[in-house]
Amino acid sequence: MKRLYALAFIFTILASTSCSALGVGGSSVKIGLVTDIGGLNDKSFNALANQGRLDAQSQLGVSTSVIESKKQEDYVPNLTTFAQQNYDLVIAVGFLMTNATWKVAKQFPNVKFAIIDGAPANDKGDTENLPNVANLFFKEQEAGYVVGVVAGLMAKNKVGKATHNTVCSMGGIPIPPVDHYIAGYQDAIKTVNPSATILNGYSNDFVDQAKGKEVGLNHISKNCDILFQVAGGSGLGYIAAAKEKGVYAIGVDADQKDAAPGTVITSALKRVNKAVLDTSRAVKDGKYKAGDNFFSASNDGVGYGTLDPVVPADIKSAADQALADIKSGKITPKDTVQVKG
Amino acid sequence: MAPSVRQPSSQWAQGPAIPVISVLIALFLGALFVLASGHNPIAAYGALLLGAFGSPYDISETLVIAVPLTLSALSVSVAFRTGLFNIGAQGQLLVGAVAAGWFGAQFASLPGIVLLPLTILAGILGGAAYGSIAGWLKATRGVNEVITTIMQNYTVIYVMHWLLQDGPMSAPNALGTPASAPIGDGAVLPIIIPNSIVPLSRLHAGILLAALAVVVFWFLLWRTSLGYELRAVGLGARAAAQAGIDPKRRTILVMAIAGGFAGLAGMIQVSGLFHRVYDGFSSGFGFDAIAVALLGKNSPIGITLAALLFAAFQRGGTLMQSNAQISSHLVENIEAIVLFVIAAETLVRAIARGRGTPAEAL
Repeated sequence: MKRLYALAFIFTILASTSCSALGVGGSSVKIGLVTDIGGLNDKSFNALANQGRLDAQSQLGVSTSVIESKKQEDYVPNLTTFAQQNYDLVIAVGFLMTNATWKVAKQFPNVKFAIIDGAPANDKGDTENLPNVANLFFKEQEAGYVVGVVAGLMAKNKVGKATHNTVCSMGGIPIPPVDHYIAGYQDAIKTVNPSATILNGYSNDFVDQAKGKEVGLNHISKNCDILFQVAGGSGLGYIAAAKEKGVYAIGVDADQKDAAPGTVITSALKRVNKAVLDTSRAVKDGKYKAGDNFFSASNDGVGYGTLDPVVPADIKSAADQALADIKSGKITPKDTVQVKG
Repeated sequence: MAPSVRQPSSQWAQGPAIPVISVLIALFLGALFVLASGHNPIAAYGALLLGAFGSPYDISETLVIAVPLTLSALSVSVAFRTGLFNIGAQGQLLVGAVAAGWFGAQFASLPGIVLLPLTILAGILGGAAYGSIAGWLKATRGVNEVITTIMQNYTVIYVMHWLLQDGPMSAPNALGTPASAPIGDGAVLPIIIPNSIVPLSRLHAGILLAALAVVVFWFLLWRTSLGYELRAVGLGARAAAQAGIDPKRRTILVMAIAGGFAGLAGMIQVSGLFHRVYDGFSSGFGFDAIAVALLGKNSPIGITLAALLFAAFQRGGTLMQSNAQISSHLVENIEAIVLFVIAAETLVRAIARGRGTPAEAL
């Protein structure tokens, strides 16, 4: 019985010192982020979106919140929770949420939505643009192309451990955002190093690192020296295989040089954080644009990440030149995968 | 001759006291976590309560989660009662979902009065068939059902990848989301709360099926001779084991029944919520179900209340994130602590009483 009194006492103290913990910031503009099931710590996609949210909070003075989805049943109620509280902008992170966003956006026509990597999809599965949904698309093939230039030239000039003139990539699931990266990558390799051997594979998972590692070890056994991962959390396993066998890897979405220093030579950047920040700013300034919004090299929506010191200066110049050519329209990277693996 | 059933030393321990205390301990420790991370536990739990029960919409959402959870827990419990561990509720749920999703789409043109019952049957039979595999392996080869059911979970997950990602069941979708063709309108479990009462409610007729399943569970175990025999076997009664039906058939039958409950849960998720099968959907119900079954002490009322509690935690967790800025992992922490405390209690009592079957200790 004494223990119960102690418990009650503690809770009374807590109650008397309680204060409201609702929201942050003084601005009346509210931005809500709903992540996909990968969780906030995937070191790429969801993490970048969350970074954008925090940037918006600090740079624009808006108040923001994030809800993590744990299973697909959560998408609709999570989006609805923000909509019911009259958030000004509700951002759905990821292609799996296209149908859920369509449903909720239709029910709340006065709330603005944005989908990263997707457009609203109706119950039949067809794209159906809505006046209150912004589709934030990225030209991933442009980022894939630039890192493909780096990989292709490293392999051609046999830089460091890239001695076999073989490069490879691994996607999570063959969905457009993933395949665009790989398509650009392969296009660049074929352009700067036509004699290179190109391998490709899929882990069928965005979370399981063991599977990614398996595919990586398989590719390395076929002489691949540069492994480009396009598989979120699973791709970290692909990078781990490269590290274990002493060859090179390329990260995706965020700058992943810290995932395996000395192994990761660069990353294909998808500035999801910029998309979140820009869209938040647009809502705040009244310049929100529904429908397709593209983020590409021309508006710094994609790029390439920190180059490892092993990459020589001339290859860096080539990468910068490729990026400039893409910006000017001189190069248009392909967006269909040629080597499916 | 009555089976020799050993009674726990204290009648007090038989009722809801232990589960309630487990939940309170978990909530208390959870509050400490919240404090340690620099937030206010009162605000956190306030948001939790509000999110779960604050408005009719919130209650409706809590129930939407509670329905598959209750059914999955019944699946786990019916096996527990016989002394079997069904860790495969998740896999059985998915098989039921795939079966219902396929059937509902394949025969989409049939009218609801025919299609819906048949789809329900497809879900139940799919789960039952899958569960009976583990039962058969145990009965004929003595393979531990814990191992088989866990492996079966993974098997169905991988098979679903194959089926739905450009496989035989995948349907063309915007942006290639791996999913099956939509089920016919006749196979849909309708939303039972009209928009005028609770706008946007997702609560569908599956809740009626779940309520019926709870009654069936109770009736089966406490009103049939088979049920009496199953419970007696679970409590270690050797006489009942010899005098009843052949033990091999009993094992297969129980695992089939368990699979059937879980398969129904999967069917409900497809028919009531998504109207098609998505790759990777409904993750976690089968595993939460084990905690719910333990917390509910494998009784019909206990399971229902425990499922509501867990559903409230998960639904309330959403508001806790958006309003109180608490990490989503706190809810998982609390659920884990509940499970831990209950497991500890079971272990302690089992040790104190010497050898006994798992059903006895519960």
